[in-house]
Amino acid sequence: MKRVLVILRKEWLELRQDRLILIGTFGPAIMLTLLPLLGMWAVRRAPDSPARDDTTLAEANAALLGLTGREFGQAILGQQLSVLFFLLPLIIPSVIAAYSIVGEKTGRTLEPLLATPLHTWQLLLGKTLAALLPAVAVTWGLSGIFVLGIRSLAVSSRVVDAIVSPGWVIVLICCTPLLALVTIALMVAISARVTDPRTAQQVSGVLVLPVVTVVVGQVTGKLVLNPSTALGVTAILALLATLALWVATRLFGREVVLTRWR
Amino acid sequence: MESIAIETNGLTRSFGSRPAVDNLTLTIPAGKVFGFLGPNGAGKTTTVRMLTTLIAPTSGTARVAGYRLGEDNESLRRSVGILTETPGLYDRLSARQNLMYFAQLYDLDSRKASSQTERYLRMLELWGRRDDPVGGFSRGMRQKLAIARALLHEPKIVFLDEPTVGLDPEASKIVRDFVRELRAEGRTIFLTTHNLADADELCDLIGVFQGQLLHLDTPARLRAELFGEGTQITLVGDAAPWIPIAESLSFVHSATATADLLTVALDNPSEQNPTLVAALVAAGAPVRYVTPQEHTLEEVYLQLLVNARVTRQLVEAGR
Repeated sequence: MKRVLVILRKEWLELRQDRLILIGTFGPAIMLTLLPLLGMWAVRRAPDSPARDDTTLAEANAALLGLTGREFGQAILGQQLSVLFFLLPLIIPSVIAAYSIVGEKTGRTLEPLLATPLHTWQLLLGKTLAALLPAVAVTWGLSGIFVLGIRSLAVSSRVVDAIVSPGWVIVLICCTPLLALVTIALMVAISARVTDPRTAQQVSGVLVLPVVTVVVGQVTGKLVLNPSTALGVTAILALLATLALWVATRLFGREVVLTRWR
Repeated sequence: MESIAIETNGLTRSFGSRPAVDNLTLTIPAGKVFGFLGPNGAGKTTTVRMLTTLIAPTSGTARVAGYRLGEDNESLRRSVGILTETPGLYDRLSARQNLMYFAQLYDLDSRKASSQTERYLRMLELWGRRDDPVGGFSRGMRQKLAIARALLHEPKIVFLDEPTVGLDPEASKIVRDFVRELRAEGRTIFLTTHNLADADELCDLIGVFQGQLLHLDTPARLRAELFGEGTQITLVGDAAPWIPIAESLSFVHSATATADLLTVALDNPSEQNPTLVAALVAAGAPVRYVTPQEHTLEEVYLQLLVNARVTRQLVEAGR
């Protein structure tokens, strides 16, 4: 594990010294946290209206039933924007891994690196952790700030319950590392084909599509993140992450990297 | 008994159906500088990659620093250092951070890593720039840093792939002097280069390679084998009239003249030169200088490649 820690330290040292990567990594994360809180604050200042008795709404999203106009506004806004937190485990590792893995390729540092007694799994694990840990820490940390913000800005506890639902919490806790792992595995696969970190990042943009589907599902009421849906999503992601990491390990073989990565 | 640093037996590596290295068998004694020469695409880098366990051979065996290829690759990698074709450094990190990173990957503890880093940065005259990001270094400085990286863990065998390419004369000299120092320390150097003057100056043993090993010998024996021994005599005036005098001696194979230079091919110049010079002087030849005939390694190398091409054409014509 010592060599894995050496790699991890070096990756973070490089990360700290590159302002562009830092902005690309943490800028969107801060924006995604502030945006819903700003919206909540704006709705809080709007005039209130009585609760509506809407059976269609109750069927689609029971948490919104019986809320007053302001409560409804805050809850619907918070629910839709809270899903955007699932983008963070995609954005953060894709930026870090693009520079850390494709960067090794473009900087021609892989050959001297692989000539050391380092095992390929140690290199891959070091790279994976270097991208995974900040992604998980930032996502969970900013989600915590988001929850605290919701609690202080919500007009009632019913709004907090509607936004910080058990389903959302399960997905946040269980799916964040899994989404990050799938992203890193994809970056390894992309690294075998592309020649610069920006292209790798652009190609990895396809990963945003499933999260956008969840957002659209929420907005249209077709998908509500209840605990059973959340566990189902977690199970699918766990399978996907296992498969993706298996493929990544095979693509990151010493010989494959040196002879086929162009 | 002389110990062996590198020994290969029928080492072969193919990419698809194309063999990049075909049936390479060679032995390199410990403590020698071995020059591995060949044109671009000859398979030199593939050979280095196989011997440093970066890629596996398709067939054949090899033993490097006492470790058999494919059996204990981790120990083998600990015993060798490699300077790759391109330096491959982390541009955002400083010279010191680059070296410390690799020293730790070679399992040196912090104190040792730090002292080795300082030692090599000083030795290669980079200590003054130790905390500068490598991205701002010149090509020569980068190459020197990459050489330092290859030596941090004090390997017994060092593979240097084109160490002086793209360097200015001063930096090239530093690298050449450094190679000599490494040899003086008893390390084995496996040097691939296109710079034949460097190879001539540094190498104890030369292997000319083009997919297959065309020749393996010391530079002196390669010259003698290809071009024979010879003596050059500079005369006052035209040398052509003195050809019959030289050729009248039984040990002379041939004599040629170019302006004032008489070139005489013979078997043993050190013993036969006095007789040759005496005969010429007795016949009235105005001898100015007598020097051994020198062929550059470049001439040897080009001749070997021509021979290989002719042999290949003959084999193909015979099919």
